[in-house]
This record gives sequence, structure tokens and C-alpha cells, in this order.
Amino acid sequence: MTMTTSRPDNVSSSVAFIRAGRRHRQRRWMLVTGTMALLAAALCCAMLILGNTIYPLDQVLRALFGEQIKGVSFAVSTLRLPRMLAGLFAGFAFGIAGYTFQTLLRNPLANPNVIGITSGSSAAAVFCLTVLQAGNAFTSVAAVVAGLLTVVVIYILSRGKIFSIGRLILIGIGIQAMLDAVISYLLLISSEKDVPTAIQWLSGSLNGSKMNELPPLVLIVLIFTPILMILGKHLHVLELGEQSASSLGVSTDKTRIALIVAAVFIVAIATATTGPIAFVSFLAGPIAKRLVGNGSYNLIPAGLVGINLVLAADLVGQFAFVTRFPVGVITGLLGAPYLIFLLIRMNRKGEL
Amino acid sequence: MKPNHTFTAEQVVAGYENKTVINGVDLTIPSNRISVIVGSNGCGKSTLLKALARLIKPTSGSIMLDGKPISRYPSKQLARIVGLLPQSPIVPEGISVADLVGRGRFPHQSLLGGWSKKDYEAVAEAMDMMDITEFANHNIDELSGGQRQRVWIAMAIAQQTDILFLDEPTTFLDITYQIEILDLLTDLNRKHGTTIVMVLHDINLSARYADHIFALQEGRLVAEGNPTEVITSERVKDVFGLDCAVIPDPVSGSPMIVPKGRYHAS
Repeated sequence: MTMTTSRPDNVSSSVAFIRAGRRHRQRRWMLVTGTMALLAAALCCAMLILGNTIYPLDQVLRALFGEQIKGVSFAVSTLRLPRMLAGLFAGFAFGIAGYTFQTLLRNPLANPNVIGITSGSSAAAVFCLTVLQAGNAFTSVAAVVAGLLTVVVIYILSRGKIFSIGRLILIGIGIQAMLDAVISYLLLISSEKDVPTAIQWLSGSLNGSKMNELPPLVLIVLIFTPILMILGKHLHVLELGEQSASSLGVSTDKTRIALIVAAVFIVAIATATTGPIAFVSFLAGPIAKRLVGNGSYNLIPAGLVGINLVLAADLVGQFAFVTRFPVGVITGLLGAPYLIFLLIRMNRKGEL
Repeated sequence: MKPNHTFTAEQVVAGYENKTVINGVDLTIPSNRISVIVGSNGCGKSTLLKALARLIKPTSGSIMLDGKPISRYPSKQLARIVGLLPQSPIVPEGISVADLVGRGRFPHQSLLGGWSKKDYEAVAEAMDMMDITEFANHNIDELSGGQRQRVWIAMAIAQQTDILFLDEPTTFLDITYQIEILDLLTDLNRKHGTTIVMVLHDINLSARYADHIFALQEGRLVAEGNPTEVITSERVKDVFGLDCAVIPDPVSGSPMIVPKGRYHAS
């Protein structure tokens, strides 16, 4: 092995050497995170400016600050702003929840999309929408409860004698298949007029987002993001495995439960609001890691990648083709090949 | 020098689900010394170590640190006194060596905020001691097995505990690296007075590096004391079921076993 760096000769020079390296990595983190935040801001503006009619930014801003401009005010405040905010918060939510699961379970496959948590929330939401004709708040609560229940079921079934992440993932995939069957069944028995709404919702869509549907999502994201940030160091230590984590003073069970509950709340509420936007929670974490590097806490970068994915995919879905596609179709097109790539690579490395 | 601690186990029974592995062990760990737990495969060495390091809860009996049961310490406070290096720690993908060693600082850090001056110094000292400072900004994946093991030990040293448990720290390493690791651990004990308790497979290395040996057989402590008292041919026959001669190690003078086997005996 070639190691070219020279060797520092006492503790203070070692400190300087280590500090310089950390500073370098932190600078990269700031740079990447800052760039992604700027990109997200640009996409947010684009979401407000672009539409059937393109309005200039100054008119958009004036309309946002309450000025009544004919045509602009309605399009921006009633149609485009809720759509943008739904994409913003849902993208962030899917990103941080996916990252938390993937880091906690040390496997990119272990995310809400693949192991059936999103499907659990979706099934509950479809049941509420089609069978119960329930309102928004009720649907959100049902989605969260169903998400948590799905986790509990997966956990109990995969416990066995020794906790195995591989088994958890396989059982999660099985549960997902079952829940998807439940969703299909619900669609079959529901009345014809409900089916298009349900299908559109299921493919993950920002279409028809309304301002009054957003508060639960915004609230949950604002409550649980700080909690996940505070638990960041715990998560880093848990990554070293059960034994190292306990010997470093982390109460592993309590921490794991806190992290999972927070992540499930976030992902379930986002699912209830916009529908399961395919693969965002699966893609955001690995992309953030690739961009930032792995040693630091990449929760916020993953959230920003989530925002960028959702908003960019929604813009592409709206304007790139003759037909308009819901955002989930576009993210699905991106995510599916990555899933296959990851499965092939892990199979080669013998990790599955 | 690290302070003196009284660490005792009384009538400890421990195991997994419905299998009892440790069957009533009483022991006192000699403070500021190196102790080695020896015994044949499956005798419960690792289980005993895990129980002592509070990774598994004993079914009965008590483990006391300075007169107080370890289960009653807040976990972070205990983690500043007692550390453990597991047999196969999990390597997070793509992390730099310095950041990994820095994770050993967890029990000393607040929830938010970066590294303090103390954190930097502890990490630098631990890395200097293990002679891995030059790799600080390298990715852990680029290191060889022996170098990685030194990184793990550096992480445990950065935790700055007074007592350090190690579960087979030399397994899977070439003999050269085994000696290197054991020398470095001895440095840690001699320079800082860190109490070291480890499980080792090799009886001869145990006899050479240990101040105190605990011999375990079928979940019970059958002998303890300094290597010369404990390592005798009768006891090796009892504990390991091995016929051997015991002679003084020509390098260190500690007892050295020479296995007999069925062939080659004159």
C-alpha cells in the first residue's frame, strides 16, 4: 500500500494534522450542502414561475406578498405555492426518513420504500379514501398508525434468535408485496368515481395539493427534524454495531426505537399528503453520501437531495413531455434502475 | 496514572436465552494490571467478558464497580470508566480513520456541537500511540487487517476509560501483528495504568503478557493467579485437555507450553 502522507512527530502536530483533515472534510460538507440548498431554492422559484403561463419573478413575489394581480395571484397562491410547498416538505421528509433507516440498519435497501412501510401507510390511506371516504386529518393519522404497525410486524417476524438485517429486509419485501395486494383489492372493490383519485394519489403526485392539507406534514417535519439531528451522534455510534455502541454508553434499544418512530412518523405523514413518491427515500441518502462523503452526519444533505429530486422530477413531469406525468412516475424511472444496480452489486459482494 | 478501581463479580450466572454459559463465577479484577482470561473453545470466556462489560445482563449474581452494581450507573458515565473492544466490530463504509477514532469520544461529548480541544488531543494521543496518525485522513477501507485492528484499539483508547476489556484482540492477525498489538496494549498499561482484561486464545502469549490469569472451564473459574502459578502441565491437561510439557520461555522466563500430541514424542 502506498501511503504518501508524512508522519507528524508529537501530539500537538498530530492534533494540527487531524484538525486540518477534518476542516477539509467539513468545508466539502458546507460546500455541497450550500450548493444543494441553492439549487433547491432555484427549483422552488421555478415551481412558482413555470406553469401554463410563465410569470416573471417580480410578479410572483408581489402576488406572494398579498398583492392582487389578475391571473397571477390565483395561479401562484392557490395552485403553484401549495404544490411547491408539498414537494418541498415531502421531499425533505422522504430524504431524511430514508437516510435514517439506511444508516440505522446499515443497508441502503433498508428504506421505507423497499421494506413496506410506505406500502403500509398507502394501504391505510387508500382504505380511508375509498372505503371510508374519510377526511384529510383522519387519513394522515391512519397512515402514521399503519406505518408504525407495519414496522412492528416486520420487527416481530424478523426477530428470530439473532437479529439479522438481511432477514428484516427480505421479510419487509414480502410484507410490501402483501400490502400492495391489499391496495389492489381496495381499488377493485371501491366505487368507480374514487378510483382515479386513488390511483393518482398512489403514483405520488403533487397535483391538486391544497394549502389546508399541508399543516400536519409541516408540523411533523418541524418537530422531528430537530429530534433526528440531536440523535445524530447516537446514530453514528449505533453504526459501529450493537456491542461497540453499548460500550460507548448508548442505550441501543431506546435509541433505535426513538429513531424508528421519528422516521416512521415523518415518512407516513409525507405519504399521506402526497402519496408514496417512488424511491425518493431510497435514492436521497446514497446520493447525499456520494456527494458529501460518509464520515459526517448527512441528514440535512439527504433531505436537500430529497427536495431537489421531488421538485426537479415534478418539473420534468409537468413540462418535459406532451402528456403530464405525476412526480412519482419520474422518480420511479430513476429509482428502479438504481435498485437493480444495487441488488446486482450486493449480490456480487455477497451482502444479501 | 489511572485511578484505582475495585471491580468484582460475585456468583455471576450468565448466558443466552435458555442456555447458561457462565455458572457462578466470583472474581476480582486486579486494578491497573493486565489480566487474561483463558480456556478452551466454548468455555464461556467471551460471555464472561460481555457480562463484565455489561453487554449482557447476568441471570443472577452481581457485578460491582467501586461498590455499586454496574447496572445502576448511567450508561454514559459507565462508558467513561469501562470500555470494550468487541471481537468483530462493524466498520462503517467509507469513513476516515480520524473520524472513526473520534467516535470513541461519544461518552465525553454533548449531544450537539463538534470536537472540543480535549477530543482532538485524546484522538491524537490514541492515534500516536497506535502509530496510525499518518493514516488519519485515509479511508478505513484502504487499511490492512493489522492496521484496522490498531484503529479499533485507538478508538477504545480515545474513550479514555480506566478499565478496558478486549475480546480476542489478536485473532485473525499474523503473528507479527499479534505481538505488535500486545506490545502496544502493554504500553497502554505501563504508561497510563489502564486496567486491561482480555480474552486470548494463545496460552503462551497469555502467559507472557498477563500479570494475572483467569482460567475458565465449563463456565466456572478453575484457577487464577500469576502465570507461573496457573500454567502447569496438570492444569493445561484439565482445562484444555492437552498433554504438554511446560518449560520457561527462553525470551521472557514466563511458562511456555510445548504440546505433546500422539506422534513425535521421544
